[in-house]
Amino acid sequence: MNSNHPLLQLRDVRVHFPITKGLLLRRVIGEVRAVDGVDLNVLRGQSVGLVGESGSGKTTLGRAVVGLARPTSGTIVFDGEDVWSLGRDERKRLRRRVQMVFQDPYASLDPRMTVGKSIAEPLEIHRLGSPAERASKVAELLEIVGLHPSHTDRYPHELSGGQRQRVGVARALSLDPDFVVADEPVSALDVSIQAQIVNLLQELQRELGLTSILIAHDLAVVRHVSDAIAVMYLGRIVEWSMAADLYREPLHPYTVALLSAVPIPDPAVEAKRERIVLRGDIPSPAAPPSGCPFHTRCWLRDKLGNPEACASDLPLLRSVRSGHLVACHFAEELIA
Amino acid sequence: MSSAARNASNAGPGSAPPLLDVRDLWVRFRMLDGTVYAVNGISLHLERGETLGLVGESGSGKSVTSLAVMRLLPPQPAAEVDGEIVFDGRDIAHLPEKQMRPLRGRDIAMVFQDPMTSLNPVLRIGEQVEETIRAHREIDSGGARARATELLRLVGIADPERQLERYPHEFSGGMRQRVMIAMALALEPKLLIADEPTTALDVTIQAQVLELLKELTTETGTAVILITHDLGVVARMTRRVAVMYAGMIVESAPTGDLFADPRHPYTVGLLHSIPRLDGALGMLRPIEGSPPDLRREPHGCPFAPRCAWRLDTCWEQMPELRPPEGASDVVAEHLVACYNPVTATEVELARPDRPGFQPAPPPRAVA
Repeated sequence: MNSNHPLLQLRDVRVHFPITKGLLLRRVIGEVRAVDGVDLNVLRGQSVGLVGESGSGKTTLGRAVVGLARPTSGTIVFDGEDVWSLGRDERKRLRRRVQMVFQDPYASLDPRMTVGKSIAEPLEIHRLGSPAERASKVAELLEIVGLHPSHTDRYPHELSGGQRQRVGVARALSLDPDFVVADEPVSALDVSIQAQIVNLLQELQRELGLTSILIAHDLAVVRHVSDAIAVMYLGRIVEWSMAADLYREPLHPYTVALLSAVPIPDPAVEAKRERIVLRGDIPSPAAPPSGCPFHTRCWLRDKLGNPEACASDLPLLRSVRSGHLVACHFAEELIA
Repeated sequence: MSSAARNASNAGPGSAPPLLDVRDLWVRFRMLDGTVYAVNGISLHLERGETLGLVGESGSGKSVTSLAVMRLLPPQPAAEVDGEIVFDGRDIAHLPEKQMRPLRGRDIAMVFQDPMTSLNPVLRIGEQVEETIRAHREIDSGGARARATELLRLVGIADPERQLERYPHEFSGGMRQRVMIAMALALEPKLLIADEPTTALDVTIQAQVLELLKELTTETGTAVILITHDLGVVARMTRRVAVMYAGMIVESAPTGDLFADPRHPYTVGLLHSIPRLDGALGMLRPIEGSPPDLRREPHGCPFAPRCAWRLDTCWEQMPELRPPEGASDVVAEHLVACYNPVTATEVELARPDRPGFQPAPPPRAVA
C-alpha cells in the first residue's frame, strides 16, 4: 500500500442513462448525461464535499464511487486498483472498504429488522465473525454513534429521525471501511438534530481516520465538515479547491452566485449583502447547452458583453491559483 | 386567557387594530389512540402590510396554526379549535364555511411548500389561474384571460400566453411556485400565508422566488406570515419573528433583536446549532435531546427536558410570554416565555454562566 497516491482516483468518468421510448420495441431516443467527464482525486484521510443543485449529478457520481452505478466510460481507481476491470469476487472484496450513508433514514432501513440486525447484516453478507463476535461489534458500533445498548432490539419506527441516521452511520461503519460516501446525510433532519449528526460525522472522520465524500446541497454544512470542495453543475466539476479558499474567494461565476443565494441567519449581514440572482432554471442534463454548460445563466458572461467562447468552447478545469481549479474561460476576472 | 397573552396580542393603545389577532389558540386532534396537542395556547398579531416569520422545527405547530387561520384543518381526524382568530375585526375561528369561502383566496391566500401537489395536474395552468379570479370577481372569460396573462408576466414567466396553455408537469418546480404566487396574489389579498414556500426548491431558485415574493407583497401592501425552519430565510425576509416549540410561541421579537439579543434558551440553542457560511468554524453546538411527544398533554415548559437554564418551576408551569425583565420601552415588542431567560453574556457561551447557578445536566438519550 502506498500512502502517497490518492486513495480514490476518477479519470474522465461518465455515467449516461438512456432515454427509451416504446413498450415492445424499445428504442433509445436520447441520453441523460448525469455525470459527464469528471476527474477527481481524493487523498487518504481527506474529506471532500461534493456540492451542487438537483440535476448536477452529485448523487450519481457518489453511487458510481461506491459501485452502485457503472460508469459508461472512464476509470475509477481505488487504492491503486481499477475497480471495473476486476472480477466479481475481487470487486466484492474492494467494496467492503467503501460504504455509503444514505439521505433518508426512514427509507434506508428495513422496517422489519431490528437495529442490531440491520447493523450486523453487512457482516453476515461478507461472512465475517461468529454470532457472538458480531453481537459485540454491534454493541461497539452503537456506542461509537452515541446510541444506547438497549437500542439493539428496537425497530426503526421506534426511533426518531436523528437516531435512525445514527443507525445508518453505524451500519456503514460495520465493515471498518476506509472510505465513506455520505449522500445528504442530514438534509432530512431538523436543524437542532442536524448539528448532532454533523458533529458525529466530524468526530468519526477524525477518530477513525476515514476518507470521505460528503454529498450535499447545503454549502454551510459542507463548510463545517469538508477539507476540499468540488462544485458540480450539469454533470461536471466546475470548481475545485480547499474549503477555506472556496468560501473566501470563489472563482467560478456559478459558485459565486450559489454562495450569494444562501441566506445567512443574521439580518444585519443579510441587509448589507449583495446578491446575484440567477435567471431561469438549470437546463436539462438530457440536452445540456453547448460550450460552457453554465453560459445560459451566467451573470459574468452578461457583464463581459456575451463573449462567443462561452457558447462555443467547453472550458476545462484548469489551475487558476495554486490548488484552485476552475472551469471558466474568464475566471481571472473574478480575482479581486 | 391571561393578561400577558392579551398584551402580547395587542399592538398597544392608540394604534390601529391589527390585521390579524390570534388569541389563545388551541388545536387538538382527537385520534383513536389518544390526543395530539398540536397548538397549545398561542397568541400573535400581525399589522397590515407587515411580514412575520413563524419559525420552528417539525411538530412545532407552525403549519397547523396557519391551517387554523385559513380554516383548512382536515375534517379527519377531527380538529378541536379553541380561542379567537380575529381577522380584519371579525372572529373567524368558528365562522360557517359559507361565510369563510369568500374570504379565502380574496382576503387571505396561501402558498404551500409543494407546488406540484397544490396544482391540479389535469387542468391547464390558464384554467386554474382564471378560476381563482372568476371565483371572486364578476369578470368575463376574456377579461380573466387577460388578467391571467398579466399575472404570469408579473411573476416573471416569459411568453405567458403560451404558458397558460400548458400543464403543471411541463413546468419546473420554480415555475410552478411562481404560478402559485401569481394565483395567491391575483386578488391582492390582505394576508398571504406562505408555508415553507421555497423549501422544495434549489438555492438559486429559492433566491429568485424570495425576491419575487418580497417585491410583489410590498407592491400590493399584502401582509405575510412566512412559515419556515430556515433562520436565514427569516433574516432575509421578515420584520418580526415568532419562534415556536411544541405548539407554543417561546419568543417573539423584531427580527434584528431576535438575532442580536435572543433570550429564550431554545432560540439561543437554535442559533448556535445552524452551520453558517460566515463566522467561526469548528464543532457546532447542537441542542441535545429531542422535541417532546405531542401526544402527551403539555405540562410545564416543553423545552425544560433539554434546557440547561431550567428551574424547578419549569416542570410545573408554562411561563407566560412577556417582556424580559429590565427590558426598556423601546424593545417592549420583545417577548419571551421563560422563567430564567438567557443573559446577554450567556448568549455567546450558549450555557448558563452566573455565580451560584448550577446548570441542569443535558438529557441522556440522544436524538
